[in-house]
Amino acid sequence: MTQTAAPPVARVDDDGILLRRPGTEPLVLSFDGRYIWAFSPVRDGSVRGSGVMVEWPAVLRRFLTGPVRVTVASVGGARVLVDDEVVFGGAEGSGRSRVAVVDPQGLPLAIDKVGHLCRAFDATDEGIRAEILAGTKRALDDLNGACGVRAYLNYGALLGAVRDGAMIAHDSDTDVCYLSKHTSPADVIAESYRIERDLRRRGWTLLRMSGGDIKLLLPLSDGRQCHIDVFVAFRVGGTFYQLGNRSGRLWTSAILPLSTVVLHGFEFPAPADPEAMLAFVYGPTWRVPDPSFRYTDPVAGVRRLDGWLRGFRTDMPKWTEFYATGRAQRLRGSSTFARWVDRRIPPGEPVADIGCGVGRDALWFARKRGRPVRAYDFCRAARGGLGRMAARRRLPIDVGMLILNELRTVLLTGAELAREPHHLYARQLLGCLDDDARDNFWVLARMALRGGGSLFLEFSADPQLPAPAPAGLVRRLDADVVRREIEAAGGVVERVRIKPGVDILDEPDPAVCRMRVTWPRITAVPANGRNPS
Amino acid sequence: MNSLLVTGARSRVHIAQNRYRRMRRHPLGVRARLAALEAEVQENRRLNRRIAELTDVVAELLVPLADRDEKRVQEVLAAYRAGL
Repeated sequence: MTQTAAPPVARVDDDGILLRRPGTEPLVLSFDGRYIWAFSPVRDGSVRGSGVMVEWPAVLRRFLTGPVRVTVASVGGARVLVDDEVVFGGAEGSGRSRVAVVDPQGLPLAIDKVGHLCRAFDATDEGIRAEILAGTKRALDDLNGACGVRAYLNYGALLGAVRDGAMIAHDSDTDVCYLSKHTSPADVIAESYRIERDLRRRGWTLLRMSGGDIKLLLPLSDGRQCHIDVFVAFRVGGTFYQLGNRSGRLWTSAILPLSTVVLHGFEFPAPADPEAMLAFVYGPTWRVPDPSFRYTDPVAGVRRLDGWLRGFRTDMPKWTEFYATGRAQRLRGSSTFARWVDRRIPPGEPVADIGCGVGRDALWFARKRGRPVRAYDFCRAARGGLGRMAARRRLPIDVGMLILNELRTVLLTGAELAREPHHLYARQLLGCLDDDARDNFWVLARMALRGGGSLFLEFSADPQLPAPAPAGLVRRLDADVVRREIEAAGGVVERVRIKPGVDILDEPDPAVCRMRVTWPRITAVPANGRNPS
Repeated sequence: MNSLLVTGARSRVHIAQNRYRRMRRHPLGVRARLAALEAEVQENRRLNRRIAELTDVVAELLVPLADRDEKRVQEVLAAYRAGL
């Protein structure tokens, strides 16, 4: 990279920002005058020589090729450390257009307080901002009305309302919370399921992020979606918990009865004592703007919330990213396992593809073999792509959600397949599951196949060999362990073979196990309940 | 006599070795016990979500499915899936 003028107190290059006299105050990074990121040199940097190096966040690196004016300054702009024209990417960057941190539609992005690239409110026009605020108000009305809980504006939107009556420039979404009256996490989760159904009935599209966190997807007139997080707050054993990850002491009188705050002319329900809530969330210095703020939640509280509410979508972001890559998208045509299975089941009989991914085999079973197909996956992006392709080609494929770490979807899918029997097809699924999910998978197979049909499995075997692709998402399993699990669940392994084959990405794999499994039909227990001797 | 003494000593060594091996299998250090305890508590915490999931399925699915009215059953299954 080249730099036109070296500032005396800091240097910017392809690695990051080297601060020679960093100080402790948060700093704001702008490209061509637009806010990109706020950081704390002490928290985000590492010692480099006599200075502190703050490396570029991973989410920003892909944009850093080409020229741009880089400014690094204190939050109010009174102290400017860098204000220079910089060319990133060396010789390649010199010939490129200016660095633009934007989404595929060209809309400006910034890094939010949890490290994600989002559109910040200072880059949002007034009309869109009004749509977001109206949508947030509708969500709160639905929660306080139809859902019957006490819901309030919180986090950045509450902070902006109390401090200035306006959204915080560098914030990117709105968050609401409701106070549950339940004191057992199981009841809190069951209530959240009910609220989810109520909100869907009222027309909301939403995603479940944990047992106490729902993300409402609000469509905007510029084609984007705004996310409104609905977080639960509850009390267990004297400790107050509020999702994301907050925990500590906050009296109920700080929340109820609800008060109101005004934000850009919109009136919202708020905690009874908004200042007490903001001090609980952001600490005693909440009145001083700090765009680099990050939560420092009690570790014990985070661990409790993880155990109670989370664990069913741990790998989902990684799989979503994987399915978006060219390598996954290029997987077309049937796998060798699909053709192997097709030869072993009568023509025309239906197949349920469990963990269908991009759906290459589901499409082949439907299109080339004329089989009715049900295809299940936990990844929304994968299901969406397959559903659109099936609809375009008018293929008989029903695409559904199945989260094998969530018993609700397992039992529902089991009930559906028990009524409409399908052969179960699971290519390279087992190695993607943890022990709990694998247990649930055997429950599903037992339910679905109790009236007949077979389960066909293919997975990478021999745990002594290197892990197959995609790295970190799939592991090898011992075929004997799998057999014992199947037998413990009442299944019968009718055929097993281990040979060289291919992994998910069709790359050679020296040990691929194929199994055909059935479950004996359920027979009546003798009237006296005893086994014949 | 000597042989009896040797045998007795060998037995005592074997018993001591066995006890040591057994002790090694059950870490007594506070840190090890704490880590094991934390893992077991976390395992119990996970039951909350399982109870909630089962409660939801029983309340929303199992009771209506007991109607044995196939049309109604299909409606209930479809409605439950739409609510997930």
